[in-house]
Amino acid sequence: MKQRNELLLHLIGEVGHFILDSDPSRMVINLHLEPEGFHLSILDDVERSDEEIEEINKSLHATQRPELAGYYGSMAGVDMLGNARLNLVGWQVKHGEIRKREGGTRIDLWLGDDQFDPSKFSIPG
Amino acid sequence: MRPGFEPARVCVKKLVRNPFLCKNSVYLFQRSSVLNRADSMLYWLTWSILVLIIAVGLTAQGVVETLRGVLILQLHPARLITDYSVVAGPGAAMVNAALVAAIGLFLLRVNRIQMSGPALSVVYTMLGFGLFGKTPLTILPIILGVFVSARLAGKHFNQYILIALFGTALAPVVSAIAVELSLPGALSWPLAVAGGVTVGIFLPPAAMAMLRMHQGYSLYNVGMTSGFIGLFVASVMIAGGVELGSVLIWNTDPTLELRLFIPLLSVVLIAAGVIRGGKSSITDFREISRRTGRLPSDFMDMVSSEGALVNMGVLGLTSWLYVVVVGAPLNGPVLGGILTVVGFGAFGKHPRNCFPVVVGIFAATLLFGADPAAPGPILALLFGTTLAPIAGSFGAVIGCVAGFLHFVIVMRSGGWHAGLALYNNGFAGGLTATLVASVMEWHHQSERRSK
Repeated sequence: MKQRNELLLHLIGEVGHFILDSDPSRMVINLHLEPEGFHLSILDDVERSDEEIEEINKSLHATQRPELAGYYGSMAGVDMLGNARLNLVGWQVKHGEIRKREGGTRIDLWLGDDQFDPSKFSIPG
Repeated sequence: MRPGFEPARVCVKKLVRNPFLCKNSVYLFQRSSVLNRADSMLYWLTWSILVLIIAVGLTAQGVVETLRGVLILQLHPARLITDYSVVAGPGAAMVNAALVAAIGLFLLRVNRIQMSGPALSVVYTMLGFGLFGKTPLTILPIILGVFVSARLAGKHFNQYILIALFGTALAPVVSAIAVELSLPGALSWPLAVAGGVTVGIFLPPAAMAMLRMHQGYSLYNVGMTSGFIGLFVASVMIAGGVELGSVLIWNTDPTLELRLFIPLLSVVLIAAGVIRGGKSSITDFREISRRTGRLPSDFMDMVSSEGALVNMGVLGLTSWLYVVVVGAPLNGPVLGGILTVVGFGAFGKHPRNCFPVVVGIFAATLLFGADPAAPGPILALLFGTTLAPIAGSFGAVIGCVAGFLHFVIVMRSGGWHAGLALYNNGFAGGLTATLVASVMEWHHQSERRSK
């Protein structure tokens, strides 16, 4: 439980840092928590270009890097000095995606174990 | 479905159901681990380089002499600075270095680690320090200790593998217990292995704590960690009455093989990048030069393998040229420094972010009346590029100041851990980066408040 909460706080911290870097006037953090996993959804009111979306998507869809996730991943959400780095998050999640929504952007992250069923996870858009 | 919720939009088929960690760590998962063509090429290239180094080593000194030299190295004290090309000859030093790097490469391959920036940087660092301080016999207990640490934390070893391999910087702890403590013969090596395993167990938690201190602005994070642990080990030994005086075994007349090692390697790396990538390798090299280099900056993943190979080669050639120009010997420790720079050419360093730091260190060298070719200053300049992300992130002036401060600290810090941690510059660089990062954070916060 403590490990899960710590991981969640780190992920929320890093993604929140990323969103705040773009100076939004609204940020909504939505979390759906189950014993087998969770779905984290973060919405803002910043309209991003297709290039920016592509760049973020690339970071969130990082290939499997256990050697980086287990070590450098511990830096996620712990400092505000440099730019936020979504690849620290991308290495650690099971699936992540970003899409444009009306007047802003939405980032979704899913994590879970073998019993994890993403279809049960459902945060309204 | 629960009322008020809609199904999440995720393609389940894309997710491979492999536990990321051990069974009891349920929250992290990994996608399938498939080594691609670029990985295979880089593994093949690195194995070929290691085999070539062994062949050159055996030819240079003769098979029997070389093997005898390699055996001598396993049982020799290895605290900073012990140049293996003096202790056992250049051929034996080269073979030992290649064997140390081969152990690292083998473990990376067995654990199916992507052959990318971090993996290449650790292999080249091990290769470099195999010329002055690491041997196959003394690194294995440290790696075993990190393996035990991973098990204790309920994690898979592949999550700690970089810490394990970089952590072999503490190999002199093993050799010091085995050889320098004058213990009874039957006890010395078992105690040395136990000591190595113990420091290995402490490495992962300490490494993660150190990472948060300098926030990724020093590339040799395990260097800072091993210096920190080395400080405690040295203090315990000294408190127990052990004399750990300073060591300086320094080859002033390196052979032709050692002198030509770096330019040949650099040409191979540049050629590999250009042949594979063509013109795009040069474009990618320029793109790499725009990155800050802050940990973890895997240039191979962020830009391209080809651009990173060119960057590694360019860094190797420029470092080698500097050493030649100031008239320093191309011996084991100096080659170790250049090889580490080359390795981190795929993981954070490029000429643009290294240059300001180098200027700061050079300025400090001249200001304090030191000889740029002397052991301390030349190693400080090569390894001091651990601070490259500071120049890349905060600009050339701050990078230059960081380089200056680094020189001041590193000339003292070796004595603090009595040379038991091989990455003394990583230790000093980590301290410098912590200071600079904390001042910059305070400055940014003050700026925000005043706005």
